[in-house]
Parts: sequence; C-alpha cells; structure tokens
Amino acid sequence: MTTRTRYFVIVSLLVLGVGLGTGLVAYYVGVQGMPFVRHAGPEELQYVPKDATVVAFANVQEIMHSDLRQKLHRSLRMKENGQAELQNLTGINLENDVFRVVACLYADAAPDGNVPGAGMVLARGNFDETKIEALMRDHGATIEDYKGARLLVAHVNPAGDANARSFALTFVEPGLAAFGTTEVVKRAIDLHQSADSGAAQSVTSNEELMGLVRSLETGNNAWAVGRFDALTARAHLPENIAGQIPAITWFSVATHVDGGLRGTLRAETRDDDAANNLRDVVRGFLALGKLQGGSRPEFQAMMSSLQLGGQGKTVTLSFDVPSQVFDAIGRH
Amino acid sequence: MNAPAPPAPYVTPRTWPSAVRIFDLSLSQMLWSRRSVFLAILLGGPVLLAVALRVVSTLDASGFQVNGAQAAGTSIFGMMIWLLYLRFIVPVLGVFYGTALIADEVDDKTITYLFTRPIPRRAVLLGKYLAYLACTILLVLPSVMLVFFLAVPIGGSTIAEAFPSLVSDFAMLIAGLSAYGAVFALVGTRIKRPLIVGLVFAFGWEPAVLLFPGYLKRLTVAYWLQALVRHEMPQDSAVSVLMQVFRDVPSVASSVAALAVIIGLALWSAGRAVEHREYVLEQ
Repeated sequence: MTTRTRYFVIVSLLVLGVGLGTGLVAYYVGVQGMPFVRHAGPEELQYVPKDATVVAFANVQEIMHSDLRQKLHRSLRMKENGQAELQNLTGINLENDVFRVVACLYADAAPDGNVPGAGMVLARGNFDETKIEALMRDHGATIEDYKGARLLVAHVNPAGDANARSFALTFVEPGLAAFGTTEVVKRAIDLHQSADSGAAQSVTSNEELMGLVRSLETGNNAWAVGRFDALTARAHLPENIAGQIPAITWFSVATHVDGGLRGTLRAETRDDDAANNLRDVVRGFLALGKLQGGSRPEFQAMMSSLQLGGQGKTVTLSFDVPSQVFDAIGRH
Repeated sequence: MNAPAPPAPYVTPRTWPSAVRIFDLSLSQMLWSRRSVFLAILLGGPVLLAVALRVVSTLDASGFQVNGAQAAGTSIFGMMIWLLYLRFIVPVLGVFYGTALIADEVDDKTITYLFTRPIPRRAVLLGKYLAYLACTILLVLPSVMLVFFLAVPIGGSTIAEAFPSLVSDFAMLIAGLSAYGAVFALVGTRIKRPLIVGLVFAFGWEPAVLLFPGYLKRLTVAYWLQALVRHEMPQDSAVSVLMQVFRDVPSVASSVAALAVIIGLALWSAGRAVEHREYVLEQ
C-alpha cells in the first residue's frame, strides 16, 4: 500500500468514524434527553400533567393573521357576531388577545363509558380576569380556593348524577388561563406551584411524546400528538369496528397555516408489518382520491401534493391544500 | 558423511494470504486510476445536491418543498438513497469496477505477471474483488454520511431519530456493492464485452423484470436488495407506482441469505473461470 493510499484510507475511516460517533451521541442523547437543554415545545407544556393521552398546540395569533384565515373570512362571509359577542362578554378579542393555546386530553372514561374523559386548555394572552370571573359567576360558577389559587368552578350536572362533571377556570399566572375538568386544572396548579419537582410530573418528562413534539414544532403553527391506541381503547367501540382499526400507537398532526394549509400526518405502528399494511391502505385511498379529483384542477393540485412516506414502523402523509381549494369552496 | 537433507516439498501459498497480497497491490492501483476520478465525481454529485437543498431550505422561510408540501429531511434522504445510490450509483460501480477486475489486466497485458506468480489464480480474482470493495466502500459511505448530515436536519427532522436508518443504509449499500461486484466480476471473467452486458443487466433487465409479477424478479440483485431498504420507495414516476403495486417484499433474513448465496456463487464461479480459462492477449 502506498503512502497516499494509506492516508486516503485513514481519512476515509476518520470521516466515517466521526460521523458515526456523532450520530451515536445524537441518538443516545436524543433518546435519553439532556437535562440542561430547554425542553421542546411551548413553555405551557410544563403545566400539563404527565399522563396526557393527547396534547395539542396552536399559535392562535399566527393563524388568525394568516392569509388563509383572511381569505376564508372574506369568501365565506362569516358573521362576526360570535366574535363580537365573545368580546363583549369576556373582553377577549380572538384576533389579538389570544397568543397561543395548548390543550390536553386524558382518556379516562367514566365507568359507564359514555363520558369522553378529562381535559384542559391552557391559553396564553391578555385577559380581563375581572370580566371573565363576573361572567362565570353570572352563569352559576362558584369560587373555590385551591392551595392559594382562585378557582372558578361550574358544575354541569347535579352532584350524585352519573354524568356529573365540573369544570374550572383559573389564571395560573398573569396572562395564562387554564380551563377544563376541575381535577386536571388542579393538577396544573400543583405543577405551577412545585417548580422544582413539577418537571418530573409534567408531560415534558414523557420522552416519547416530547421527542415527537421536538420533530413537529419547527415550521408548524399548529400540531397535535397523542396515543391512538389509548383513545380507541377508551372509546369502547363495537368489536367489529375495533378490529378494523390499524395497530397505531402514536399519532401526530402538524400544520402550517399561511396562504394555504400544509402539514404532515404521522402514525407509528406496533410493528413493521402493521406499518406496511397501513401504507398499502393509504396508497389505495390516494389512488382513489386522485381518480375522483381528476376533473377539478384545484383538487388535482391538492391530491398531487399528497406524499406518502416513512420508514420502519412510521407512516407519514404530507399534504398541501392550496388557497385555490378554499376559493373553490367559497364559490360554492 | 551425512547426506544433505532433502529439500522441503514445495507448498503452494494458500488462497487467502495470496488474496491479501493482491489486495494490497491492487488497492492503490484501483484508487488512483482514472475510473476512480470518475467515481469521485459521481459521488460528489449527491453531496453537492444536499448542500444546495440545505441552502435552499435555510434561505426560504417555507422550507424545501416537494409537490408543494414541505419535505422532511428524512424523506429527502430516503429519496436520495433510492434514486441516486440504490438505483444508479451502486449498480454503476458494480458494472464499471466488477467487469474490469480481470478484463483491465488482460487489456493492459499485465495478467501474465499475476498468473506467473506462485499463487492460486482465484486468489488474484479474490484479492482484486476485495480491493474493489474497499475502494468503493471507502468512497461511497463517506458520501452517504455527508448527505445524511446535510439533508436530514431539513424540515425539522432530527439526526437522533434518523441515525438507525443511516446504519441500516450503510449495511444495505455494503451488501449491494458486494453483490453487484461479485455478479459483474463473474460477467467479466466469462463474457466478452462484459461492460455492455453488465449495463444491459443493471439498467435493462433488472428494472424491467421487477415490474412483472412472478418469480423472474428473484433472479435479480435489486429484488433482494430493495427488501433491505427501510425508506419508502419514492412515487416519482409511473414505473415507481407500478413497482409499488407489484412489490413483493421478501423478509430481511431471506434477502440477506439470498445475497450471501449470490455473492458466494458468483465469486466461486468467477474463480473457476479464472482458474480454467486461457486468456489470449491481443498482439
């Protein structure tokens, strides 16, 4: 072996070694999580209890100011009465006062299986707390104190009723409202007050979920992540329907709303075979959709943008709904 | 007076040590040949493309888009593995290097020097095959590595989640280079005009046969190799769509076994051809 051949082999092996080593470190760190790095996702996630089945986020301000929303507003001639009434009652201007929203769902069904479960919405923005409190008290809500936090609690059905539910609203901190099932809102208050140990009990310590959030947050102004199997298990579906549902574990949806609507649907399945089967099913629907949309140019563009992807146990479907589709809807 | 000790009986050097010597000799020749310059240019193409994609995605706020939808880095990397490496670069390397293992020595009239050495003839083929593997692996894998680190972070994908696919892609590419190299080494030792036959096989027979349902596709390297690819096959053309419709994917274990059998049989057959064939050098 000549000298320059030896140097070439060494350099080549070095490039491979450095690359594989870097990838290995990134893989290990990405799986284990780095404690001194800011967690992915909005900061409101630290108030979401750990065992959430579904977590969703929307950058309300970006979406409300997007070209698509403005276009829909004009073409569908949506009445502004609802928004105006909301502002009159609560002082909240959806266009400007709500910055972002984080929602979570806990699929703990009541014993009879008809109650959908618990959940909470955390909204960051400018709120007239006095006005909102007054509105809720006018509708029968009562004020409770929970560990020094002021809770506005409303009962939907009388206590003792099988479907009795109570909802609560609280301002976790200035500019952050939490509204949802009373138990979940109380847990959010607990997380806010236990700053040091709270991280371990919040959804930010769920590495699997946060890994998905990390992959979604870049370039998207709305996303949702959740356990599909937990939702279907709690839904008490008839056996013949439950048997038809694919073996999906985690699912996620991420979209970016600007002039159009584009995003990615992602599903993680139990194993590679389930993923291959799901891909086959999706391919069939894509082919059918392309056939159906063949005569309409605006839908053709949307159908041709659908890209099936993913590897191993992951199935992804990218989509892009151009603004022409919404124009067509508006014309009809 | 004692009689002199009889000379030790002559022992032909064993195949493997002889092959290592030939490997050592051939690696430098192969690496610094004109063919390798062409190879380096070929492998630089995907890297430049990945650089361009990264620049576009960084400068454009909406990111790099495919058919109007923002493409994730892992999808881009998967597409490049399928379209550039698996369907073009690996077969081309196999054809150009594999068919020339012995043919180049014959054309240069240097085969005599190798065959007059006291080593088994099949060791010459084996050593050159190992040199081909080392040369292509040390060029192809770093190229894939660079493309990986450039393309994957586009669109929010992470290195961490895509790293296992890189490792499996490396294994798949090594298997592909080994299989194609062995098959075309066999073509080079047995057929005249092996380059043309090799190109027809790699870019004519294999893509055509994969389209048809039935057992013919099992007579291709691509059928077994594609089972090792974890990325989704790109739907870039009607041919790809047809291939997906008729896609019959064998298991990873059977694909690895089949490729091992192909490599073993092809090298054994090529070795036998080299052992028994009389190479007539053109004057």
